[in-house]
Amino acid sequence: MRRAAARVIQTEEIYPGTFVTWYDAPALSQHAKPGQFVMVDAGAERSGLDPLLPRAFSYYRFRYASPHDSERQFALLYSLIGRVTEQMASMQPGDRVWMTGPLGRGFEVRRSAANLLLVGGGVGIAPLVALADAESEHASRSRSIVLCFGARGAEGVYPAELLPPQVEYQVATEDGSMGRPGFVTDLFAEHLSWADQSFACGPVPMFRAMSPIVRRDGMSRPVQILMETEMACGTGICYGCAVFTKRGVKLCCKDGPRFELLDVYPNG
Amino acid sequence: MSSSVTDLHAVRAAAARPLTPSLSVDLAPGAKRELTLRNPVMTASGTSSNGLELARLFDINRLGSVLSKGVTLKPRRGNPTPRIVETPAGMLNSIGFQNVGVSKLLSDVATVWETWNVPVVVNMLGDTVDEFARLAQVLDGAPGVAGLEVNISCPNLDVGGVAFGRDPVAAARVVEAVVTSTTLPVIAKLTPDVTDITVIAQACQDAGADALCVANSFVGMSIDVNSRRPRTNRPVAGLTGPAIKPLALRLVWETANAVEIPVIGCGGIMDGRDAVEFILAGATAVQVGTASFRDPFAPIQVLEELVQYCTENGVSDINDLIGAVQVD
Ligand SMILES: Cc1cc2nc3c(=O)[nH]c(=O)nc-3n(C[C@H](O)[C@H](O)[C@H](O)COP(=O)(O)O)c2cc1C
Ligand code: FES
Repeated sequence: MRRAAARVIQTEEIYPGTFVTWYDAPALSQHAKPGQFVMVDAGAERSGLDPLLPRAFSYYRFRYASPHDSERQFALLYSLIGRVTEQMASMQPGDRVWMTGPLGRGFEVRRSAANLLLVGGGVGIAPLVALADAESEHASRSRSIVLCFGARGAEGVYPAELLPPQVEYQVATEDGSMGRPGFVTDLFAEHLSWADQSFACGPVPMFRAMSPIVRRDGMSRPVQILMETEMACGTGICYGCAVFTKRGVKLCCKDGPRFELLDVYPNG
Repeated sequence: MSSSVTDLHAVRAAAARPLTPSLSVDLAPGAKRELTLRNPVMTASGTSSNGLELARLFDINRLGSVLSKGVTLKPRRGNPTPRIVETPAGMLNSIGFQNVGVSKLLSDVATVWETWNVPVVVNMLGDTVDEFARLAQVLDGAPGVAGLEVNISCPNLDVGGVAFGRDPVAAARVVEAVVTSTTLPVIAKLTPDVTDITVIAQACQDAGADALCVANSFVGMSIDVNSRRPRTNRPVAGLTGPAIKPLALRLVWETANAVEIPVIGCGGIMDGRDAVEFILAGATAVQVGTASFRDPFAPIQVLEELVQYCTENGVSDINDLIGAVQVD
């Protein structure tokens, strides 16, 4: 875990209301894994007191600025939901923002797993893209990756062309304006038995809807979910981010944010 | 500005031989066991877990003292979520004493503290006077434990908590029960939510407290106007952070003027200048809380800025600053 002033490289709106900002801060990206996160301290640069607390963001992507670079840049994906994200989107290239990271426990992919199922909704897409990127880099392992994404309508759908070409992308929209009409959990149900491992990130109702699907399947297949809770610190010192699991009270930021679906939502 | 020339001389002299100020403070003068800190910067209970996370980030031994997360006799799950909500320049928390219980704290955590070279003070809480006494007994003589902070000021509980700290008689009973059950130095942590804090402060002093911590969080509230429900798991929760600093500072000043024993200042300290304010108001030491949530290095930064203030202002001994605010 390090604290560093990340330099803004560029920001773009990748689909309506959803932004991606690239940052340069080797200390924060060096050992970062998909599913881990940073705490962004948008107030500190101006030593402002409002907002006071940092906010958590999953690593979305990594890249090398040039083939000779040994240090990766990283990107965060966010939608404009408040002052912190508005400030992030308005920062100019060269501006700096304090962050702490990498934090938490990210996804764990078994070496032997050939078929990976990724399920996301909303900004929950961010860590799944990081995972898809990392796993499609290992072409030799001949992995198949299916990414299922759900949105209300076409305007909220993560653009297919941004994904690695190896990834099979399946979309569901509630209004039927793109892909399959319905919920992303319908796609999840169809692919569950195909998958050697499943990974999900999205809103709580999505997790709750996934739980009975896994139980009905009868194989009690593990599904790694990335949780989001209120957080004050992100570093394990405030106890604000409690997650009540079958194995006791856990801290989302420190014991998670990766949890087992049925440990947290045994009954939906 | 007739003194500007002498000021300049003082500044030049300080620059010529950079003085390393003496920072050591005594939190329990005359106690059975001493609690001397190498500097006045402590962490605040519940804002640094049990110190292990911070110890991975920086040399924990640089701090004056580390406070444990509040501990109870039995493990507790704490309150449901949401436990945290941000408010302007502050936050509300309702954690509800999630902790592993005193036995596990001693077997798993205090064994690490023992290897540190910094005094660790255990913040402790009971539902009854008797539970406070039993906790004090269990913690007495435990390796790795340098002092006790008696929490009679937690706003997030149905039983006990802040109720003890609002009544001078109840507060004194708790403090007395703890003091007579331990040889460790005892700090009483007071609630700011009282009409006259000096009454409680004096009661704790008379009951044998070695020092007072002023203060715990204020009881606050925040409502979601869409759902028309409180934004925390209980209707009221503890307000902390810069929003409470002027209030806490006033309480420290009032308390320090009313008691003989050392007062520890706590509430909204974000940087070294905030710490200096509390010391000028009468605090012998300070606790850094919410600031660590924004930046886990905050306690170290407060320390460095405090040293810088002393160096720049020709303060050779931090004890000279305690209560040095000029009010006339
Ligand atoms: C999340 C959180 C948990 C806390 N837990 C405790 C605790 O267990 N025991 C205690 O005496 N005070 C506890 N406090 C109060 C702090 O120790 C401190 O008195 C208060 O936060 C004011 O200081 P600050 O404004 O610097 O945070 C807690 C505060 C916060 C924000
Ligand atoms: S957010 Fe503070 S402990 Fe997890």
